[in-house]
Amino acid sequence: MRTKVSREKKSRKNKKHKSVWGFLWILPSFLGVMVFYLLPYADVVRRSFLGAVDNRFVGIENYKTVLGNTAFQLAVKNTFLFTLLCIPVLIIIALFCAVTLYKSKYGGIIKSAFLMPMALPAVSVALVWRLLFHSQGLLNHWLSNMDIAGNDWMNNGSAFWILFISYIWKNLGYDIVLWMAGLAGISSNIYEAARVDGAGERQCFFYITLPNLKSSLYTITVLSFLNSFKVFREAYLVAGDYPHESIYMMQHLFNNWFRAFSFDKMAAAAVMESAVLLALIMLLQKAWDSKE
Amino acid sequence: MLGMKGYTKQYGIKMRGKWAGLRPGRMLLWLFLAALAVIVLYPIVFLISGSLMGNDELASYLGAVFLGKSGYADFPPLPMFPTLQHYVELFLDSPEFFVMFWNSVKITFSVLIGQFIVGTMAAWGFAKYDFPWKKGFFLLYMILMLLPFQVLMLSDYLVLDFFGLIDSLWGIILPGVFSTFPVFIMYRFFAEIPDSLIESARLDGAKEWQLFLYLALPIGSSGIIACMVLGFLEYWSLIEQPMTFLKDKSLFPLSIFLPDITSVDKSGMAFAASVVTFLPAVLVFLGGQDYLEQGIMAGAVKE
Amino acid sequence: MKDRKWRRVLGTLLAAILICASLTGCSTGSKDGTGKDAGAGGEDGQGNGTESAGEQAMGRFLEEELDTGVVFGNIYDMKKLEDGSLRIIGTNGDNGNSGVWDSSDGGKTWQSVYDLPEEMQNPEKGWMDYAAISPGGQVVCAFNEDTSSGVHPVLYLMDKEGKADKMSFELPKEGESLNITTDLLFPSNEWIVLKDGAGTAYQINVSDSSVKYTYELDSDVSVFQLYAVGNTLIAQDETQVLCYDLQTGEQKDSEEALSKGGSENGLFHAVDTLDGGESIYCLSGGGLYHYKFGGSVMEQLIDGNMNSLGAPAFYPIALAMIDEQNLLVAANDTNASSATGICVLKYTYSADTPAKPDKELKMYSLYDNKEIRQSISRFQKEHTDVYVNYQAVLSEGNGINVSDALKTMATEIMAGNGPDVLLLDGMPVETYIEKGILKDLSALLKESGGSYFENILNVYQDAQGQICAAPARFMIPMIHADSAYYSPGEDFDAFTERKDTMVNMLPGTVVEKFWYTCGAAWQKEDKTLDESKITEFLTKLKNAYGEYDSSREGETVGMSMTMEGAGTEEVGDIYLSRGELELAFEKINTNFGLCRDMDYGMQQAVDKKLKDGKMDLMPGQADHVFVPTMVLGISSKSAQPEMAEEFVKYLFSQEAQKISQFGGFPVEKESFRSVIDGHEYEGLGGIVGVAGLGMEERLDYAMEPTPEEEIAKMTGLVESLKTPSLQDDVIKEAVVEQGEKVLKGELSPEEGAAAIMQKVNIYLAE
Repeated sequence: MRTKVSREKKSRKNKKHKSVWGFLWILPSFLGVMVFYLLPYADVVRRSFLGAVDNRFVGIENYKTVLGNTAFQLAVKNTFLFTLLCIPVLIIIALFCAVTLYKSKYGGIIKSAFLMPMALPAVSVALVWRLLFHSQGLLNHWLSNMDIAGNDWMNNGSAFWILFISYIWKNLGYDIVLWMAGLAGISSNIYEAARVDGAGERQCFFYITLPNLKSSLYTITVLSFLNSFKVFREAYLVAGDYPHESIYMMQHLFNNWFRAFSFDKMAAAAVMESAVLLALIMLLQKAWDSKE
Repeated sequence: MLGMKGYTKQYGIKMRGKWAGLRPGRMLLWLFLAALAVIVLYPIVFLISGSLMGNDELASYLGAVFLGKSGYADFPPLPMFPTLQHYVELFLDSPEFFVMFWNSVKITFSVLIGQFIVGTMAAWGFAKYDFPWKKGFFLLYMILMLLPFQVLMLSDYLVLDFFGLIDSLWGIILPGVFSTFPVFIMYRFFAEIPDSLIESARLDGAKEWQLFLYLALPIGSSGIIACMVLGFLEYWSLIEQPMTFLKDKSLFPLSIFLPDITSVDKSGMAFAASVVTFLPAVLVFLGGQDYLEQGIMAGAVKE
Repeated sequence: MKDRKWRRVLGTLLAAILICASLTGCSTGSKDGTGKDAGAGGEDGQGNGTESAGEQAMGRFLEEELDTGVVFGNIYDMKKLEDGSLRIIGTNGDNGNSGVWDSSDGGKTWQSVYDLPEEMQNPEKGWMDYAAISPGGQVVCAFNEDTSSGVHPVLYLMDKEGKADKMSFELPKEGESLNITTDLLFPSNEWIVLKDGAGTAYQINVSDSSVKYTYELDSDVSVFQLYAVGNTLIAQDETQVLCYDLQTGEQKDSEEALSKGGSENGLFHAVDTLDGGESIYCLSGGGLYHYKFGGSVMEQLIDGNMNSLGAPAFYPIALAMIDEQNLLVAANDTNASSATGICVLKYTYSADTPAKPDKELKMYSLYDNKEIRQSISRFQKEHTDVYVNYQAVLSEGNGINVSDALKTMATEIMAGNGPDVLLLDGMPVETYIEKGILKDLSALLKESGGSYFENILNVYQDAQGQICAAPARFMIPMIHADSAYYSPGEDFDAFTERKDTMVNMLPGTVVEKFWYTCGAAWQKEDKTLDESKITEFLTKLKNAYGEYDSSREGETVGMSMTMEGAGTEEVGDIYLSRGELELAFEKINTNFGLCRDMDYGMQQAVDKKLKDGKMDLMPGQADHVFVPTMVLGISSKSAQPEMAEEFVKYLFSQEAQKISQFGGFPVEKESFRSVIDGHEYEGLGGIVGVAGLGMEERLDYAMEPTPEEEIAKMTGLVESLKTPSLQDDVIKEAVVEQGEKVLKGELSPEEGAAAIMQKVNIYLAE
């Protein structure tokens, strides 16, 4: 009896104790985040209600202007299209590669090859891209050798696909590793049991592998999403401020607004973007939670 | 789940044999993957071979793109007359290269050390402690992680200016230290440490900081290293922040040096500098790869 | 219990704050450290914030241009003699006579001592290259005798009173060709040092013209400049400084700090010593430096950024240290007040002037502007309390492109750290005005008292009469051609009907030039562009340009590998003056482009060479177009608006407007006249200049003042200008990029116009 009581006491004390400790652990980080991220963010929110240079209060005028802005609409459309297309494709290709490479002898080497592009600085990538996709570049050279008419790749609709490929190229290794991690988490005795029941490889994949990987999907999606923003660097370095309209992304717009002192519009758009991000993350989290 | 784990231990080895078997269909698949890997690696080969070509050779191959000549650019996988000229130029004739290299080293390692201290603590706190508004805090961290730099640039500048950090390497390092990305990544690793383990350590009288030092850090080490490697890649090729927050050229990191030389007619040096910038990243990568994979694996597995 | 927890929380908080504080502490520490490293460049004003907080350091050299009483046409050397007087060997600009002048009052007045011998004064008989003065007042002249048997170099030696003697020293022949003197020094009364065309320096005894020592200096890769103080001979090239002992002829230990200082700050233009060669004073673009031999640092005594020494068109000839606080500099300064550009400046140490001006005015531009640099050094001379920190953001070679530079600048302006004055070259002027970044200048311009071409000055005037930006200069798109290819007054339609008007021209350059005269006509009421006009533009231009001949590319293409979006400044040349000789020798049939200066003699010569040469405004979809350049504005966030206004007012004053470094015609009428009237040729008696593309194709032209009626015609032309060219680099870039493809035949005009519209529409929608 005595021990039980003391233990209950202890655990209650523990709970309180833990909550304070929890705060303590994140405190240094949070202080920094507050100063270097939250404070600036608060400033952005404030600016979204003010005029650009004169700082006069304009209410939700900025939000209205931004929503009616055709450049904004184009950027939003492109960004959505890009993320909606890229992330699923990347995740699926990576899954395919991961399943094939998983636990095989030569998988390691090939995987290393896939990981290399991550280490390449954006500027170098841009240099190569420019040489490849220029209207007189290497790709057109190869095509002309095969008697196929070339193309000014960065200045028509194909620019979107170049950006798409560049994203996949850079992040494939990353996602393969992520999927492999997921695969490693599936205990092999499940397969064993299934095989005993006479399941084929395909059935194993669809009925065992896939359902068990669902939990990895969340992390992979969030990280792929994060990386999808980074592709802007290459796009910007290759095609400049005003690329072909098919790859005109939110960051292009932010960039150009910034240059033109349109901080009002930029702030309003940023607040809206973070609201959308919030909704997306909550949605993902919910989907993930419900699948558990 | 627990019961099954025990089961695996007995039969796992048998399984592996079957998985590794190669069948003709699989061979094709492998060939395809190997081909894909070669394509993926092409740009790197491209940069290395370009860095070994003389100026004349480069001009004749790439004239179409950079000099507006007619015809097409051409690029053989190997240089005809390999030369180390550009590396010599880079190392001997551009003293600023070393300054920039050291600036990059300073920035990257300071950020990593900072992240190691601040980030692990925060991740540990999020992973294993309950406190009010925890979910909200974490959500906030995630949103801040996902916001593009341009959005916060002006406000960041104002804050850094207020602290007198503009035109100082600390203005790049400190925001990097408090980046929320490592917290997000390491959170997953720490979350994986079984609660029962921590509880029993507590019952054995371990203090909270001891739990962190002797339990969290060793068990989560692969995750921490993974995070450091990713951090290295990120901060090694940082462009926007130094460009905005630094004015003094003697503070510029290597990642800005690169665009500098691509803007003049020194494409050879651009190639060489690309390779030199790429190398440390690859070394860190290869060194950290095993941990990186282990780490990411551990992180992606959810209990 | 509770208390203790809170205390712990508080403790951690405090610790965190301490860490932060120590980090920021570190940061200021490291900033100062690096500031010192970068200090030599002196470009950066950031690091000085902490210093000025403390006690202000006092003492600075102030500059003053001496009214010497003599208009020097040239100065060869200037030296302080052993007896304390000063001596100059030079040419009198009024009569062209060469001679020697002395000053016994520290440079205030100069008395002619003697003229050089008759045989050295006659231009028919030869010319003088170099002359040097010894500490004792002797003079040595390197003279080239022009005799019937060819040119023959000789040395003349004059004693203190002017008794001249030919020295018996003969330069060794350098193979077949003529060997000449390339440097001449007179470091002590006993010997002369002379360097020849082969790069060998000879140390010659004054007494018997014998060679005491020789020094092998120049090689294929480096050419040395020679200086001497006391018994030390100093040879400098781009990377190093070598020292030799004139007593022994041996090379001395290298002086690391001197070498380093030399390679950082550029060539020493002139040196002197006050202690017989123990230490040296050196003059370079960075200012005046002092170095003690065997020492470890070169100490900067005068910062060139704060006076003429750092000005781009300032070339020091000689330095004479009177004492530690007074010195004279003889220099060639094309923008000096004297007509010949040769001037003598005096620098005097003023102990009660702050070492660094206490006020700093920041000025930014994208590209380096020489007129601004020149104006700054003059402005600072009059305002010793102001330091104008001028930064050309793109020219510093840090690879930043226009867009990033503008972004960084926007950040700085918003944070209040930005420039006070803006030179809006390539910056989106209209956007800046619209956003309220720039202050109204109209009051300032009214006060400044000049009489301006109002049609040009007021191009950015808005409906309320505010002028937030104003061009201090402008260029005019003009065409020069034979009447077979162009008749004056012809419009764009008629001109583009003709064939062969644009042979041998680069497509990109053609588009860019016509962008100026056509772009202005494209803008509709709502600021969007009229696609039909662009299509018309491209169609007609393509028609006139004809087939693109790609085989000729290699000959004319300039090297440039800019990242996309970077400035296109250096690609192709859009200026009228660059095509004049090609026009004269029929490499091209018409010459058009931006006219930024007027050279009447040249224009006449070209007209004569052509059958019926004509010059007029360049045709285009818009007419009477001008291109505003050197557009100035004051930041509305400037913390010191009065000083910024004063500086801008100065830039619009006649003194600054008359400076001409090819940045365009001045907008101030009197200055405009002085820039085009060719006054610098006055009194030269019609010298003939020769220009050419090669030995076979040479064009003689008269260097003479512009006739009054031509000046009037040009002024009338300027007054008739009414349309500013479209000042928008984003649109321009899109037009040039796509237009080039159209002229090359890669795109049809319709496709080109559509591609332009696509980019521009996004831009305008933002």
